[in-house]
Amino acid sequence: MTCFLVACSAAALARPTIEELQARDFLDDYESNIVYGYNIVMETEKYAARYVGNKLRCTNCHLNGGTTPDAFPLNVAGLYPQWRSKNGVRNGIVLRIRECFLYSHNGVLPPDHAPEVLAIAAYINYLSEGEVIGKRPQGAGVPTVPDTGFDPNPARGEVVYKRACEVCHGADGAGTAAAPPLWGPESYNAGAGMNRIDKAAGFIWANMPLGQGRSLSHQEALDVAAFVKLQLRPFDPREGRLAKLAERIWLRISGFFGAEQP
Amino acid sequence: MSLRGYAKTLLNEVRPDFSWTRSVDGRRETISGVTGAVLVIPQAITFAYLVGMPPEYGLYCAVFVGFFASLLGNTPMVGGPNTAMSILLALTVMPFAGRGSPLYIDYVLLLSVVVGLIQLSIWLLRGAEFFRYFSPAAIFGIKMGVGVLIITSAVEGMLGLAPLTTQFFYEKFYIVIAAWDDIVNPYAAIVSGVTVLSGLLMRKSFPRSYIIAAVLIGGVTGAALVGFLGPVRTDIELLGRIPFQLLPLRLPTVTSEYLLVMQEVFPSAVAIAVLGLAQSLVIAQDLKSHVKSQVSLGREVFAQGASNIIGPFFSSFAGSGSFNRTSVAVSMGAMTPLSGLIAAVAVAAIAWSLGPLLTYLPMPTIAGVLALVGIGMIQVSEIRRLLRSSIDGPVFVITILTVTFLGLKVGLAIAVLMSLGFFIAGVSKVALVMVDQDGVEHIQVTGNLFYASLDALAHHLREHPGANSVLDLTRVPYCDSSALAMIDAIKRERLKHGGRLEVMTAD
Repeated sequence: MTCFLVACSAAALARPTIEELQARDFLDDYESNIVYGYNIVMETEKYAARYVGNKLRCTNCHLNGGTTPDAFPLNVAGLYPQWRSKNGVRNGIVLRIRECFLYSHNGVLPPDHAPEVLAIAAYINYLSEGEVIGKRPQGAGVPTVPDTGFDPNPARGEVVYKRACEVCHGADGAGTAAAPPLWGPESYNAGAGMNRIDKAAGFIWANMPLGQGRSLSHQEALDVAAFVKLQLRPFDPREGRLAKLAERIWLRISGFFGAEQP
Repeated sequence: MSLRGYAKTLLNEVRPDFSWTRSVDGRRETISGVTGAVLVIPQAITFAYLVGMPPEYGLYCAVFVGFFASLLGNTPMVGGPNTAMSILLALTVMPFAGRGSPLYIDYVLLLSVVVGLIQLSIWLLRGAEFFRYFSPAAIFGIKMGVGVLIITSAVEGMLGLAPLTTQFFYEKFYIVIAAWDDIVNPYAAIVSGVTVLSGLLMRKSFPRSYIIAAVLIGGVTGAALVGFLGPVRTDIELLGRIPFQLLPLRLPTVTSEYLLVMQEVFPSAVAIAVLGLAQSLVIAQDLKSHVKSQVSLGREVFAQGASNIIGPFFSSFAGSGSFNRTSVAVSMGAMTPLSGLIAAVAVAAIAWSLGPLLTYLPMPTIAGVLALVGIGMIQVSEIRRLLRSSIDGPVFVITILTVTFLGLKVGLAIAVLMSLGFFIAGVSKVALVMVDQDGVEHIQVTGNLFYASLDALAHHLREHPGANSVLDLTRVPYCDSSALAMIDAIKRERLKHGGRLEVMTAD
């Protein structure tokens, strides 16, 4: 029995790397989907252009193609289906991936049989090999920043941003060649998980500035997250873009005629 | 035909014929080409959906297959993605890879090269002649059967379902009706319903552009629903951005595993190749009366095969001439291949510049267009005309039933067999006219005398072995060795019984 288990874990360890897969001259449907999914994660704007609406790549948050712990690693296939408060239903991995396109990529909601979505699901399965089904892998998601006793302060966050983040992300948050945009039309929208201060602070504290993770204090991470959240970005698509536009126009008109603003 | 003459004919058909440039009405060709391009864009996206490829591949097919087919042919026939071929391409590759996955795309493109190669072999074997014996009733049966198949394949997209696989087409309707409340997305149903209804209402008044109008109305309905209620609540599938490239160069992957798959799907590839040629040649045949320049069927076969081989190198799947696009082009005054060339270039220009506008086009609208195309292929007046004929009626009914119930491949095989059967039945009919001239029986034979048509004549001649007859073969264009042997044998029998048989031939 022990022998069998050892053999099993050895087989799990011996899974081919992406480079090995890419070097083969024939891939079956599952393997080719793993490589396709990897390509999408690394160069989303090129391989999943159909559904992406901004300049973010999956690997911008799921660092190193979803292989870095504490940076939303993608080895989580065993955690789905999972009930999530975000949409109040039990989410399969496919729905979870589709929502990334809608919120984080500020794009079009792909159908649940879209080849891009199924390819990412295959890649997630591939990364999850060897994990225990139903058990949270080590370093899943991002760490929770402990209660510092102070509220997040965006004004102080701006100071931290100028000191530590601006070099790569730019003064206007639009990103540079070295780092992705943090706000503005080319970044994630207000419905994205990254727009939650707790998630963003955990991610920033554990991973930012890139390569010097855990160098900011907990309070600094919270402050910067609050500063970034307050910037302008595409709004939450759950509300309906035209409905939101009509609401804004109505507010403008009613304001013009001196009506009371809600 | 001598080997030299054969080579000469081939060379002649390979060399592009630009004699039409001398008498071309550039303005009319341009107007017809650009109109055709506007009309084909929704169709190309729809057919890509039918093949199971991302939408840009349908546009590539309209651009590159259309361009090369017009360049190498010399008729105003407009080429591009084709309904029946699209259905068969999808059915052929589906067992080997997931719809739309990278492997699937590789297989479809390689299969298209194989289809082109088969068409070129048909060209080398001078197979264009064969397609003339294809019964028009069978072709109409296939066309309308494809119409039914298209309408059924649009059901999932129209109602926002995941792809359903069923044995027979009507099961899908049963599933949808039985489980309507559970599986149908009402918002998708509203959008596709608006698209189809508006298309049907406008079909009479705008026979050329009703599909564009339906796309606009359905698209606006969908955009309004998504815009006001949000993409999450409506869950309407949108087309998304089309990463259209002007030069989508690509080398089809060929490895031993790919070739094994191609070997397995070879029969389907033959069916796809034959379907493409049959449709293109019917169009070319129709155009003969319309265009001034010489229509050579051999050249069209070469153009189809070559464009399907070149196409995959530009990310296009196999296509053929299009009935409805050609008839629109001709009705707008196209006389030369120039309109097809302009249409291809215009599709590229429009898709490249207006692509972003299509991002929020709802898929239920595209599925609705598919249903409209399918409904357009079922012509009631044509069915009535065919059913009145005692031969065409059964051929048509049998073809349409086999296509819808047993699939396109079987339907095609049955159609070919029935066409051949009726052709042989027609050819082997021999008319005998007997006139008595002063005790000598004069038998005039009209028709081909060969092993299949001898019986009646032999029976008649052997009835009275002692009679004196003259056999008039001046109206027999073809007489095979078995017929000659039979006549010789009867001559001898008659001599034995004291009768005579004289043979009169044309020379």
